[in-house]
Amino acid sequence: MNRWKMIAALAALSFTAAPWAQDAYVVGLSGAVTGPNADTYAPGVESVRLYIDQLNKRGGVNGKPVRLIVGDNQGEPSKAAADAKKFITQDNAVLLANVSISSTYGPMVAEAKRARVPLLFAGGACPAEVLPPNPDELQFCSIGPAMKYDAEMALRFIKEQSREPVKLGLVAMAIPLSRAGIDYAESLAPTFGITPVAKEQIPPPTPDYTPYASKLKGADPNWVYSWGPWITEVKTFEALRKLGWTGRYIAAALNPAEDELARVKDELFYGFGPNAMFLENLPVHQEMRDAARGAKLTYPITQMTEGWVAGMVIEQTLKKVAWPPTPEKVLAAIGTLKVDTKGLRGGPIEWSKTNHFGSKQHYRVYRWDAKKQAVVRVQDWVTVDVK
Amino acid sequence: MQLAVNIVVLAAIYALISCGYVLIYRVSRVLNLAHGELMLVGAYLLYSTASLLGGNPLTAVAMAAVLGLLVGVLVYVLLMRRMTGEMVLAAVLCTIALGVMLRGATVLIWSAQVRHPMEALGWSNPSLVLFGDARISLISAILIGATAVVYAALFGFLGFTRWGIRMRAAGQNPLLASQRGIQLHGVYALAWGLSTFTAGLAGMLISLDSSLDGTMTMIGLKAFPAALVGGLDSLAGALIGSAIIAIAEVLLIQFVNPLLSDVVPFFVLLAVLVIRPWGLFGSKEELDRV
Repeated sequence: MNRWKMIAALAALSFTAAPWAQDAYVVGLSGAVTGPNADTYAPGVESVRLYIDQLNKRGGVNGKPVRLIVGDNQGEPSKAAADAKKFITQDNAVLLANVSISSTYGPMVAEAKRARVPLLFAGGACPAEVLPPNPDELQFCSIGPAMKYDAEMALRFIKEQSREPVKLGLVAMAIPLSRAGIDYAESLAPTFGITPVAKEQIPPPTPDYTPYASKLKGADPNWVYSWGPWITEVKTFEALRKLGWTGRYIAAALNPAEDELARVKDELFYGFGPNAMFLENLPVHQEMRDAARGAKLTYPITQMTEGWVAGMVIEQTLKKVAWPPTPEKVLAAIGTLKVDTKGLRGGPIEWSKTNHFGSKQHYRVYRWDAKKQAVVRVQDWVTVDVK
Repeated sequence: MQLAVNIVVLAAIYALISCGYVLIYRVSRVLNLAHGELMLVGAYLLYSTASLLGGNPLTAVAMAAVLGLLVGVLVYVLLMRRMTGEMVLAAVLCTIALGVMLRGATVLIWSAQVRHPMEALGWSNPSLVLFGDARISLISAILIGATAVVYAALFGFLGFTRWGIRMRAAGQNPLLASQRGIQLHGVYALAWGLSTFTAGLAGMLISLDSSLDGTMTMIGLKAFPAALVGGLDSLAGALIGSAIIAIAEVLLIQFVNPLLSDVVPFFVLLAVLVIRPWGLFGSKEELDRV
C-alpha cells in the first residue's frame, strides 16, 4: 500500500512539475563561474543573470518570465557537456548559452545538435562555425572579439600610428585560439608593410613573465600586438616595461581592460575592442549602473558589457518566439535576428542564414591619458567587413 | 646578464615554494598536494589585510604572514591531525580534498577577479638597473633575499634549535621520538605552520610582483618537480632542484621554444626519477612495494 502511495505521490508531483517547467522561457547557460579561467568569464555570467533579472522585473517576455539556469563548468569540457545534457533533458531549455573557454564548446555543440537546441556563444571568442558563408545552423555568437578581424584592425591601427618602419612583436597565451590569432596576425602583418620580429606563446600558469619578455625585448620590436586572455596581455606588457622596453603595445580590450588601463597608467598601452567603454557614459551605461545598484554584484560593472549584449540578444530572440516556446521556434527566431545594442557596439548585431556572427565588426581604441588622468578614446569606431 | 637574473629569480620562486613541500614530507612523510592552494590563501590574506590596513602596509604584511602561519597550524589541528597513524595515502588524499576545498573557498570569499595587493598596499614596484644593463623588479629582488633568509633560517632552525632537532627526530623515527617524550602533534603542527608560512610568503611576493588570481595554484604545482628532483626530504636538494628546473626553463624559453617551458620541469623530473628515484639529495627509502 505504501508503495502505491509513493507512486501516486510521484505521479502527482510530475503533473505539477510539468506545467511549472512550461511557465517560463528556459535558457540554460554553462559558464566558467569558478576555475582557473573564471576571472575572464564569471563577470559575463553575472552580467547575463543581471540582465535577465531586470528583464523579469519589467514583466519578462511576451508576458512570461525568462528562467536562466546557470551551470558552473569550471572551464572543463566534461562539465559543460553535463550542463548541456541537464538543461535539455531536465530543464527543458529552449536555448543554450556558453560563457567559457573554447575547449568547452565542442561538448556543448554535440549535445545541442543531438537535441537540436540552438546554442549562443556569449563570452570568450567566437568559433569559426558561426562565420559566413556557411555557419552551422545551431550555433550563434554575440561575442565582440574575433580573431581575424581583430588582427586586421590592430595591424591597421599600428600602421596608421607609425611614421617609422614597424618591427612587431606578438604575444599569445599558449592556448589554441590565442595562438591561432597571433599566427594569423603574423601572416597578415607583411601585407600592411609590418615586419614581425618575435612571437611569444606564454603558458597560462607562469610565475614570472620576465624570461618571455626578455626574449621579446631582445628582438627589439617598436610595437607589440597581444591577443589572448587579458592576464597574459597585461602581465607581458608590465614585464616588458620592467625591462626598460619603451615601445608601444596594443592588446584586445577584454572584460577588465577599462579598469586595467587606468591601473597601469601608461600612455603607450592601447586597448582596442568592439565594446564601448563606460567612460563613454552612454544612456545604456547608466541603465547598467542602475541595474547594478540594486544587485549584489561580485564583479565591477565595467566588466559586464559582453554579458549585457548577450542578454539583449536573448531578449530579442525570445520576443519573437510565440508561446509555448520550443527549440524549433527559437531557432527560427534567432536565425534572422537584429539587435540594437544601444551604442554598446558600433552597430547592430544582425544574423542571417549565411552569417551567425555579424556582417561588420566595429572597433574603438582606448589608452591612458596622463594629462587628463583618465582613460580616453583615441580612435572612434572603425569598421571591418566580415567576409 | 639578463638571462642570469631571470634564472636566479625563477629559481628563488621555485625554491621558496618547494621548501614547504620538503618540510612537511621530511617530518611526516606526507606529500602536501594542497601546497599551491595554501600559497593562494596566503596571497589572498595579504590582499585582505592590505585592503583593511592600506595606510599601514608593513602591519598588513606582518599580519598576513602571521595569519599564514596560523592557517597552517589550523590545517594540521583540524584536519591532518586526524590522519596521524593512518595510511600515508589517506593523508595525501586528504590534502587533495583540502586543495579542492580551498580553491572553492577562495572564489566564494574573494571571487575570481584578478586582484592587485601592491595597489592595496599603496606601494610601487620599480625596476632596478643592475650591471650589464640587466634589470630586476624591486619585489623580485626582495623575493631572492627572502628565499635566502628563509633557507638560512630553516637550516639554522633544523640544525641548531631544540624544536628543529625534535622535528628531524620525528621525521626519522616518530615512534622512538614519541617514546623519548617529543610531542609529535606539536612538531607536526609547527611543520605545517612553517610550510604554509613559506608558501604564503611566496604567494604574497608573486602577487605583489604581478597580480593575484586562481592560476597561482598551478604555479605551486610547477614547483613540485623542483622538490622532487632535489629529493623530497632534503632542503639543500630543494634549492638545487629549483636551480636545475629554472635553468632548464629559462634556457628553453630563450633558445628553443617558450611552449616547452611548461613541460620541462616534468621532463627533468622524469629523467631524475628514472636514474635516481629518491632525488639528487634525498634519502633512499625502504621499498613498500615492488
